[in-house]
Amino acid sequence: MNWRCCLRSVAVEKRVHENDFFEITDQPLDVGAIARRVVLPECGATVTLDGYAREWTKGRQTKFLEYEAYPEMALKELRKLADAAHKQFEIVHIGIVHRIGKLEIGETSVVIAVSAPHRQAAFQACEWAIKELKRTVPIWKKEVYADGEEWVDPQRS
Amino acid sequence: MTSNDPATSTRIEVRVLFFGAAKDAVGESEISLDLEPNSTAATARELLLERYANLRRFGRSLLFAVNQEYAQPEVIIKAGDELAVLPPVSGG
Repeated sequence: MNWRCCLRSVAVEKRVHENDFFEITDQPLDVGAIARRVVLPECGATVTLDGYAREWTKGRQTKFLEYEAYPEMALKELRKLADAAHKQFEIVHIGIVHRIGKLEIGETSVVIAVSAPHRQAAFQACEWAIKELKRTVPIWKKEVYADGEEWVDPQRS
Repeated sequence: MTSNDPATSTRIEVRVLFFGAAKDAVGESEISLDLEPNSTAATARELLLERYANLRRFGRSLLFAVNQEYAQPEVIIKAGDELAVLPPVSGG
């Protein structure tokens, strides 16, 4: 299943960023292909975050991860996040795709691709966007260990 | 009791979705909830905490959404609204 939205549907937005895209999908992510979707002639740099499933966290071994989302709300929150990024940074386009379901170690869970005329704004916006995503977007990660499983609580870890 | 009884005829029904650790705590991903008219998000939250005591362990970190937006406690719930109970998010 694949949930998509784009800013074309927001008629009231003053600045419509037509090439921005936000998706929640249970399919594997092709990082390179997603990054190319924000490459446009007016830009000079794209910064891409490839977030993937880590095997070791504080000495504990993860077997695999399971992500769950509230897709409709997650897409709305991603759109708000992108609007805020456009206001703060000199970027041209931003695309965010998050995978849900079961992810093996090393598989990509999230891709954030930001393009800008100059690289500095793209780096800053990408870093800001992942922090904001982790704080506001309704997606949850469960760590499955050899000896049990737990939903990650960022306020405790 | 007849359908004209205001105590029953005016009650409203909403969907409530549970996610992540809250879903596990409740044992359901979706329920329907009956509320008094003009109930707020805070009232709905209290009702749910009464019905599902396991949710109390989340304390203030448990967030609420109404129609896919983070909800302030004073928001009025309307018939057919979609409520959601959200434990701390951990995407990325």
